[in-house]
Amino acid sequence: MSIATETLSHRNRAIQGLEWLWQSVRTAPGPSLAGLIALSLVLFAFVVPLVISSSPFDPANADLLNSLNPPFWSEGGSMVFPLGTDDQGRDLLTALAFGLRTSLIVGILSVIIGLVIGVSLGLISGFAGGAVDTIIMRAADVQLAYPALLLAMIIDGAMRQALGTSRDTNTAIAIVVVSIGISFWVQYARTIRASVLVEREQDYVAAARVTGRSRLAIIALHILPNIMAPVLVIATINLAIAIITEATLSFLGIGIPLTQPSLGTLIRNGNNFLQSGEWWIVAWPCAVLMLFVFSVNVFGDHLRDVFNPRLRTRR
Amino acid sequence: MTPILEVNDLTVTMKRPFRTLTALDRVTLTIGKGEVLGLVGESGAGKSLTGAAIVNLLVPPLRQTGGSIALAGRRIDTLSRDDMRKVRGREIGFIFQDPSTSLNPVLSIGHQLIETMMTHLPIGRDEARRRAIAWIDRIGIPEAERRLDQYPHEFSGGMRQRIVIALALCAEPSLVIADEPTTALDVSVQARVLQLLKDLHGETGVAMLLITHDLGVIAKMADRVAVLYTGRVVEIGPTSAILNSPHHHYTHGLMKATPTPNMQTQRLDAIPGSMPNLAAIPSGCSFHPRCPRSDATCRDHLPRLSGVESGFACWHPLSAGGTS
Amino acid sequence: MTRDDLLALDGVSRTFGGQPTFLSGLLGQSNQGTRAVDSVSLTIRRGETLGLVGESGCGKSTLARIVAGLIKPDRGTITFKGRPSASAASARPRVQMIFQDPFSSLNGRWTVGRIVAEPIRVHNLRKGSAVRDRVAELLEQVGLSAADVVKYPHEFSGGQRQRIAIARSLAGEPDFLILDEPTSALDVSVQAQILNLLKDLQRDLDLTYFFITHNLGVVRVIADRIGVMYLGQIVEIADNPTLFEAPRHPYTRLLLDAALDLDTSDLSLHPIPGELPSPQFPPPGCRFQSRCPRMKQICIDVEPVLTYEGESAVRCHFPLLSDRQASFPA
Ligand SMILES: Nc1ncnc2c1ncn2[C@@H]1O[C@H](COP(=O)(O)OP(=O)(O)OP(=O)(O)O)[C@@H](O)[C@H]1O
Ligand SMILES: Nc1ncnc2c1ncn2[C@@H]1O[C@H](COP(=O)(O)OP(=O)(O)OP(=O)(O)O)[C@@H](O)[C@H]1O
Ligand SMILES: [Mg+2]
Ligand SMILES: [Mg+2]
Repeated sequence: MSIATETLSHRNRAIQGLEWLWQSVRTAPGPSLAGLIALSLVLFAFVVPLVISSSPFDPANADLLNSLNPPFWSEGGSMVFPLGTDDQGRDLLTALAFGLRTSLIVGILSVIIGLVIGVSLGLISGFAGGAVDTIIMRAADVQLAYPALLLAMIIDGAMRQALGTSRDTNTAIAIVVVSIGISFWVQYARTIRASVLVEREQDYVAAARVTGRSRLAIIALHILPNIMAPVLVIATINLAIAIITEATLSFLGIGIPLTQPSLGTLIRNGNNFLQSGEWWIVAWPCAVLMLFVFSVNVFGDHLRDVFNPRLRTRR
Repeated sequence: MTPILEVNDLTVTMKRPFRTLTALDRVTLTIGKGEVLGLVGESGAGKSLTGAAIVNLLVPPLRQTGGSIALAGRRIDTLSRDDMRKVRGREIGFIFQDPSTSLNPVLSIGHQLIETMMTHLPIGRDEARRRAIAWIDRIGIPEAERRLDQYPHEFSGGMRQRIVIALALCAEPSLVIADEPTTALDVSVQARVLQLLKDLHGETGVAMLLITHDLGVIAKMADRVAVLYTGRVVEIGPTSAILNSPHHHYTHGLMKATPTPNMQTQRLDAIPGSMPNLAAIPSGCSFHPRCPRSDATCRDHLPRLSGVESGFACWHPLSAGGTS
Repeated sequence: MTRDDLLALDGVSRTFGGQPTFLSGLLGQSNQGTRAVDSVSLTIRRGETLGLVGESGCGKSTLARIVAGLIKPDRGTITFKGRPSASAASARPRVQMIFQDPFSSLNGRWTVGRIVAEPIRVHNLRKGSAVRDRVAELLEQVGLSAADVVKYPHEFSGGQRQRIAIARSLAGEPDFLILDEPTSALDVSVQAQILNLLKDLQRDLDLTYFFITHNLGVVRVIADRIGVMYLGQIVEIADNPTLFEAPRHPYTRLLLDAALDLDTSDLSLHPIPGELPSPQFPPPGCRFQSRCPRMKQICIDVEPVLTYEGESAVRCHFPLLSDRQASFPA
């Protein structure tokens, strides 16, 4: 323990900041690159639809004259449609952006749902203890016995039964989001509960109690900000899982309808042309899915190391 | 007579992207046969680093970039990793601050003692077991035979630290490095552990580098003492001479800041400020911003240690009686 | 209780554990729990520093947390300024606490300004921009700078962080501070600064301190009266020079002998014989009986009670004489 560190001057702080940035790029070039790739893909997904305001999936935009064009470097391809077109003549590059955007929205929303449910239950479990704790944790155990995909399918099926078949695109997306989101809560709840049990014994919590803070204020103002780091790591990795689950559900035809572009529906659609030689229709969405999931995972793994409690110091 | 340990101008640096920090700056120490050298200083002074550098256990980004270390006349800082491993344990024993990290929790203490002795000494298992029992007896743990097969968690903190001491000494090294051996312990337990160290030192004649931040431990245990500040030796010499008339203002300041049960004053003389970070070591004498006697000379010029066996690095040393 | 008393503890006890757990049942262990604090009675006077010393695990922190209202006692009462209460909690914000580890006692995600302002905000002691001025004033009072409000705790050294903790506790305008080993994690030079700061603050703000430490040198410097604790019980209470010059309990004597000083003319060490018993299984009768050089049969059979003699109290059947002959025959 070396506690005799002098207060750092502003100049030193600036240097330290630079050093930190340089150090993280140098010691972890892979994760830094992965983070950059993931970020670029997110930008791509959200910026392209802003520029090209009308979805290529709008039937009005069908361009059958240009259907099934190959990528630009192949015989018959052109720079107008650099990645080629599908059977409806939709530009695959634009379709990818729209598809990735849907997938990201589904992913982010379902992560938020899982996070909110999981963090709340985790906090309740950690603080209440006793029977409440037991019930929540046993429910978590039960839930873990079902694979996330199966669970999503069950919830999806149940909600379809309840809502009937007359569902529009937005309802379908909402069903996917909720079913994926619910399958995530366990991880958050367990992590939060474990952190709460550690953190509530810390002296800064005792100090706040002596000062007269209420329990709720202590949880919201003191404990929560201190235990969110591992949750954010899980959230990153869950984003990748959510996107894969969405793709799988949509591919199986129980997710997002074919009229709405998402990585899953693009793959499903492209799959029909694999036999006939138009490989690019399925290849691009698959490649984007893999690239995105891979880079998010690499980055998330790195974050996990950075936030590792054993490596994490309070300084 | 050659000393057991000679550390000469030992320099340890840490490379950072835009600069190189000096963690140990030309540290020079010698330890004679059977001598106890105390190494004292505030947190971050580089005490543990000195110990780690001697046994070549520096971890990057820290690196020895100058000086030499010799054990019984033989350079050890240039040894290969394998040769160094043989030196550690066999010729140099180590005692760390926290007994729980230096004992293997899943092996019985007998097992750990026996294995250590069999690795380093030319003896068989039966002899090693006999000696292990003798060691446990020697460190004042009753029912040695039975307790040999117990695991570290079955002992109290003070007992565990005594076991660590037995482990460090059982291979009959010629030097032990004890890094804050009693810092984690209570007063009463501390006295017990120090007594044991003292007795074993008397019986085996092992030389000792005793690292501590507690001048009380130094007073009772060390033949000579070196005072470290920001990686530099600022004062070195016989313990009684230094504690009775320190020359360096830092040594004097540390003494006056140490509260003892029999002191008559109700107010301590504190040294102002705190030890600077490695990245911001002041120019000249690094103690000058905290020193009551500092002037322009101290700010601009680094004082040299006036002697390697016994000396101080100060432009305005205190003379006997505490005035300068 | 006299008018001068700020706080009185009467027969306060706290046991941890005790209910047999599944594992202990499996291992066939009987589990009567750890009596961390066992019938502690003492008073703290307005404006004084009551020191509390004892070995690790003897129950010092548990007692501190009971007084602070963080833990409920199983038995006994705590009377704060004449008002009975289960804890000092109802008299908040007059009580504040300072902890040993300056790295865990400050919320690392808050700025120093927000940390110090917390008690002010919680109790509405100041309004609007007066909060900022007060925080600046407090930081300067503990030797930091008003410009430090925007920084985070990790930018400070251990000693500076302990100063931040002190500023935070003063922000609640307490008249009573509980200090649980506030300098144990600090270097001696910084410890001396903090002790001096605490003394100055006590003089200027008329504070009362309950100061816990295991360092006898530190209580010598800071305390007016000192309680000595052994295995959950107070074994001796005396005022400052008296406890050091003429201790009455054999344990106090041995503890003082075991402490180190800077004297190089006498190199002998004086460890306390025997091992500290497990607090879960204290010896019968007098708790110190198993290590005491004056132990007789009665010490095993009858538990001594804390007996007052003037200002001092001792829990021993055979206390050492009070007329300064307080050492053992060799
Ligand atoms: N692995 C490391 N990486 C970076 N800096 C280090 C490392 N080990 C030590 N240091 C720095 O080197 C200096 C000396 O550290 P050292 O551990 O030797 O101090 P010490 O005197 O033993 O202090 P303590 O009393 O706290 O044990 C400190 O400033 C410390 O921050
Ligand atoms: N929450 C708890 N649950 C169970 N046992 C506890 C708890 N808190 C303390 N104890 C036990 O109570 C006894 C007294 O502990 P306490 O922390 O009060 O000691 P202490 O005198 O402050 O020691 P130290 O000097 O190490 O801080 C110890 O045996 C400890 O193991
Ligand atoms: Mg160290
Ligand atoms: Mg404690």
